[in-house]
Amino acid sequence: MNTNSNLYTVIYTTLIVVVVAAVLAFVSQSLKGKQEANEKADTISQMMTAAQFGAKAEFQKMGNKAVLEKYAQEISQAFTVNTKGQKVRDLDLNKVYSPSELKKQNYNIKGQGEAELPVFIFKNGITVVPVYGAGLWGPVWGYLAFQQDGKTIAGAYFDHESETAGLGAKIKDDPEFQHEFVGEQAAFEGADQQDLTKSRVFEIVKGGAPRNADGTSVIDDKIDAITGATMTSQGLEKAIDAWLGAYSNYFLGISAKRAAEEAANQSVEE
Amino acid sequence: MDAKLKETILNPIFKGNPITVLVLGICSSLAVTVTLKGALVMALSVIVVTGISSLILSLLRNTIPGRVRIIVQLVVVAMMVILVDQILKSFEATYAIDKQLSVYIGLIITNCIVMGRIEAFALGNKPWPSFLDGIANGAGYGMILLIVAFFRELLGSGTLFGVDILGRLGYVPNNLVILPPFALILLGCIVSVQRSTQKDLQEK
Repeated sequence: MNTNSNLYTVIYTTLIVVVVAAVLAFVSQSLKGKQEANEKADTISQMMTAAQFGAKAEFQKMGNKAVLEKYAQEISQAFTVNTKGQKVRDLDLNKVYSPSELKKQNYNIKGQGEAELPVFIFKNGITVVPVYGAGLWGPVWGYLAFQQDGKTIAGAYFDHESETAGLGAKIKDDPEFQHEFVGEQAAFEGADQQDLTKSRVFEIVKGGAPRNADGTSVIDDKIDAITGATMTSQGLEKAIDAWLGAYSNYFLGISAKRAAEEAANQSVEE
Repeated sequence: MDAKLKETILNPIFKGNPITVLVLGICSSLAVTVTLKGALVMALSVIVVTGISSLILSLLRNTIPGRVRIIVQLVVVAMMVILVDQILKSFEATYAIDKQLSVYIGLIITNCIVMGRIEAFALGNKPWPSFLDGIANGAGYGMILLIVAFFRELLGSGTLFGVDILGRLGYVPNNLVILPPFALILLGCIVSVQRSTQKDLQEK
């Protein structure tokens, strides 16, 4: 047979492509469930790490099933809010908000539509919200956990798609960097409602935020940027600023409500 | 085992190593050698991809139209790479490592070793030797990857396979080692050692 004729070539390539496409479609469909389960457990363990239920490595060792069980035990409510701080709808507690959904909301925050932002509240009163933005090579995202006052950060966890290992990747791999966020306060008043990307809610500074004599970071609402990863640090700061800017009305609402409650309690006591 | 087959297996690992002698697949050897674990998974993935694509294309070699043979190779290699990526993503144990390697698993498609061995060997040889040739070239690539990753993880993070080794002794990790240029320097050292010990590789 002449393998160089036009007809043969066309039929041959068509056949190869169809066969390969069928194999890939089959494999993709049959593995989809497992992959989604992995992604879900990963996202949940990131949120729980931020909320200080344990270290990320511990969750990884626990296995998917145990992670989901622990989440089901601890989560209290999940819903979405708009940038005005009003609740939009409840979220299914069995589902997670994947990074691809965060990406969608990130476009909205940048002013392309009405943002609908997820809020996760755990039974111990800690509120976890996501942030999402651009690092050096690809997207960076993460979760910030807030104390009941709606202002003080209880913990943080960050992840990335392709930051440089050992440098930018430290936002994920360096627990010390994440630990620096604990106790700092977000300045929600710095949100720019006209253009959320111009908000100044949180600072990651180069050249070292002041440190205590024993090397621990001072609670001064500033985070030490990662050495050698200027772009990743800046990207993360912008992501946090824009997203917390978008959440500002929600959290300011919580603070105001708490202040009012406290005032009411005091007047009752008197 | 006959001598020719033995040569097929041993040559790519030492004398004809794809990285140090043929200088193929350099890019990924700079990118994924920051940690040993990443390098190991990458090496195994490349071994699977080179081995099985060589086997498939060797089986098809007499039917492939000459004019589109590169495209057919590319389709088969791409399929294998996507399969490997999908499988890594599906297991709990490998999910995290696949995330860490991110785009580099996908970029095995562009690794010159894969297409290079198919073009140079699999299209002209029987399936079994082609399969072995693919495996051996993947192994030769993987070996260099692991050597580079050993030094980079040890000096750059003070750990091996994530276990703290030098940090305990008060070693301060060297950031330069983590950056790709150091991998190139290391690779140069390996090439230099290899050439000085194997006289027939030296250029006159």
